[in-house]
Amino acid sequence: MGLLSAVVNGILMGGIYGLLALGLTLIFGIMKIINFAHGAFLMVAMILSYWLWRIMGLDPYLSIVVIIPLMFVLGYLTQRYLIKPVLDAEKDVREPIGALLLTAGLSVAIENFVLMVFGADYLMAQTSYSGASINLSGLSISVPRLYAFIATLIVTVLFYQFLNKTELGRAMRATGQDRGVALLMGINVPKVYGIAFGIGTAIAGLTGIFLIPFYYAHPTVGEVFITKAFIIVVLGGLGSVPGALVGGLLIGLVESVAAQYMTATWTAILVYFAFLVFLLFRPSGLFGSRYEW
Amino acid sequence: MPHRALLELRNVTIKFGGLIAVNDLSFTVNEGEIVGLIGPNGAGKTTVFNLISGVYRPTKGEIYFNGENIVGLKPYQVCQKGIGRTFQLVKPFGNKTVLYNVMVGAFLHTNNTHVSREKALEVLKLVGLHHRKDMLAKNLTIVDRKKLEVAKALATEPKLLLLDEVLAGLNPAEVNEAIEVIKRIHRAGVTILLIEHVLKAAMALSQRVVVIDYGRKIAEGPPEEVTNNPEVIKAYLGERYGAARN
Amino acid sequence: MARLASPRYYLPVLLILLLFALPLFVKSPYYLHIMAMVLFWAYMATAWNIVGGFAGQLSLGHGAYVAAGAYTSSLLFAYLGISPWFGMFIGGLVAGLMGFLVGYPTLRLRGAYYALATVGFAEGFRVILTNTTHIGKWKTGGAEGFMIPLLGNAPQHMQFISKVPYYYLILVLFLILVLICRWIDGSKLGYYLTALREDEDAALALGINTARVKLVAATLSAFFAGVGGVFYAQLIRYLEPNAIAGPIMSNQIVFLAIVGGRGTVLGPALGGLVLTLIGEITRVVFNQIMGLHLFLYGLLVVLFVIFKPRGLIEFLEVLWNRLVNLLERREGKHAA
Repeated sequence: MGLLSAVVNGILMGGIYGLLALGLTLIFGIMKIINFAHGAFLMVAMILSYWLWRIMGLDPYLSIVVIIPLMFVLGYLTQRYLIKPVLDAEKDVREPIGALLLTAGLSVAIENFVLMVFGADYLMAQTSYSGASINLSGLSISVPRLYAFIATLIVTVLFYQFLNKTELGRAMRATGQDRGVALLMGINVPKVYGIAFGIGTAIAGLTGIFLIPFYYAHPTVGEVFITKAFIIVVLGGLGSVPGALVGGLLIGLVESVAAQYMTATWTAILVYFAFLVFLLFRPSGLFGSRYEW
Repeated sequence: MPHRALLELRNVTIKFGGLIAVNDLSFTVNEGEIVGLIGPNGAGKTTVFNLISGVYRPTKGEIYFNGENIVGLKPYQVCQKGIGRTFQLVKPFGNKTVLYNVMVGAFLHTNNTHVSREKALEVLKLVGLHHRKDMLAKNLTIVDRKKLEVAKALATEPKLLLLDEVLAGLNPAEVNEAIEVIKRIHRAGVTILLIEHVLKAAMALSQRVVVIDYGRKIAEGPPEEVTNNPEVIKAYLGERYGAARN
Repeated sequence: MARLASPRYYLPVLLILLLFALPLFVKSPYYLHIMAMVLFWAYMATAWNIVGGFAGQLSLGHGAYVAAGAYTSSLLFAYLGISPWFGMFIGGLVAGLMGFLVGYPTLRLRGAYYALATVGFAEGFRVILTNTTHIGKWKTGGAEGFMIPLLGNAPQHMQFISKVPYYYLILVLFLILVLICRWIDGSKLGYYLTALREDEDAALALGINTARVKLVAATLSAFFAGVGGVFYAQLIRYLEPNAIAGPIMSNQIVFLAIVGGRGTVLGPALGGLVLTLIGEITRVVFNQIMGLHLFLYGLLVVLFVIFKPRGLIEFLEVLWNRLVNLLERREGKHAA
């Protein structure tokens, strides 16, 4: 694989990482919760999408219509019935970590539930376009990855517009900035939290759906992705929307391009090292100021 | 009576971004005094405490304690030098008993649990909280929380005690009770610098007051003298003294 | 002797005697192995609790310390012939050093940021372990794992045919650790850790060098996790990076402590005992349904965080006080 090809593939994969990180950063920006179950939600969507394709022959991209609302509801209910009681109980705690622990437990429960029900098999939806690629004068671009990348761009733009232009989006940003003030302004904070968690989960689901035509799903596939998503949101700045996309692209590029020059181990170690350095010395991320929620 | 300066601020200034919170402030607190630091809301009183106790580092100026420059020391080092402080928003360790809370402070000068307990019980008697020693800190009434806050700081055996609005939020009877506690602490040999919003109480307690407004010292002297200072009246008393007197 | 007459003293003594007597009644190696593992997990949760509970720093990367201890002693044993009895200390020290090195730069991080840093560090360490097949001339096995040479019955190298010595070894390690934690809890260090956990600014104002206290907790916790790793290596005799250094190990330790009651002396151990037993029972009853016991762990964590954030220890305290009162009253009658 030449350098150009590595760059292109890195950008495409990076877009997918960015999409997943977008959901994570949204939940953090508004609720100040690190959602450790984000990867598990991604996995659930992958498995659902796979089985809809396998049993009903539903094209994974079409399964969006079914799965995304489902994931939204799942996220909304998770926030309403699991996270909210913990947040309420920890109102006066200076450093609440109950919600973080809860999502970590939830993640393990979901992963192992799927393991019990569906087994540990590696599943991938082998669609007609799974192996397809576009050939541009010797440069080969994987079609499903390209679709996933385009979807990422669309979702990021739509999401940005939603946050800035709609009433609900503005309410969400106000809540992220200051929960107390948002309450005074008459914003229904629990509802905003529910919607934020719902959208975050739906975005994780969307990432999963775009992965399934070319990436194997298994119960712990989420762990691979969530660690990357953590790294990305820290690099881009926890809570930053553009940071998620740029951080994703950066990680995708580093993984793909560095693989040309060094072993995957060293790439991974380099990435973790960069992650720790940012966390320690620049927790606001690469781009300095955070997106103002 | 020898006036030995225990604490001395020399031209202390701190800026946050472009905002000057404390501006060229100088004053001293002599050993054995009770000095009041007063001023309208947002004058920078708590910032002064945070500067003395090492939470903030001044942009300019020096702070001497016992003749030693303490600028740059961390808050725990400042405490180890002998400056205890309370917080305006009290910070009890809520899930532990009153005695436990005070023992944390008392451990500063001992590694022994028994010694620490004895010291803590002694301090609890001094502030009048002994009968509540086994109660969880989060279940205390406001006045007792304030006493606990003072007791914790006192257990570190400070030479100088910084009290940040310990009388705020108390009813008149409680204020009198708290004033007695402060006087008792003073009689035990502790020098006190206090921030107070309840002006009458501040005047009653302090031998000397320093008035600041917009981070700048505008007056200093005995309470009765300061209350007649036109600039003070303009900045602070003019609007509120009448209300405070009632 | 008057002290011993109180149930508050003789009950724990009886309990410890019972733990020591168990191998007299249980002869099956299978059950002895399970009992040793139950104590191992109780030990690990207790070790984690020093930093995760007492200091309130949510470490999600303790697998790295377990692995550091296990690999250190095993490599020294396999290639230099250093007995794991000695390797246990070296392994613990290496892990402790690692805890210190992780603790130092993360001092300023709070809450979720600290948790993320520990995840990042442990994952990085796991990747290194997985991809390192040799250290110099020493073969470490990489992703395939590392087999510890089997010598048969070699007590001087911590290897036994019978499971009984393993059980006693981990029992003693566990009791020592609990005693140390009990001592910490009632000492200056314990008071300082509590202050740090509840309000760092208030702790600083009381003259507490919070950075040093955090480092002490992080180092101690990592040291004991490393020692536990050495025991694990000798019992299982096979080290697999993903199992020992990965999130499964790290998360499991945390989950046991949470369900048991973090921040208390006995809570984490209780969580370790109860959950591991539940896990083993489901494994027997539901014969090899993959993932069932971890599913239950996850579910229990969710339920406990929501409904009983202080953990199982709360039930035990109530039960314990009732039992003690009952016994004391009965003795009172006898005396009368």
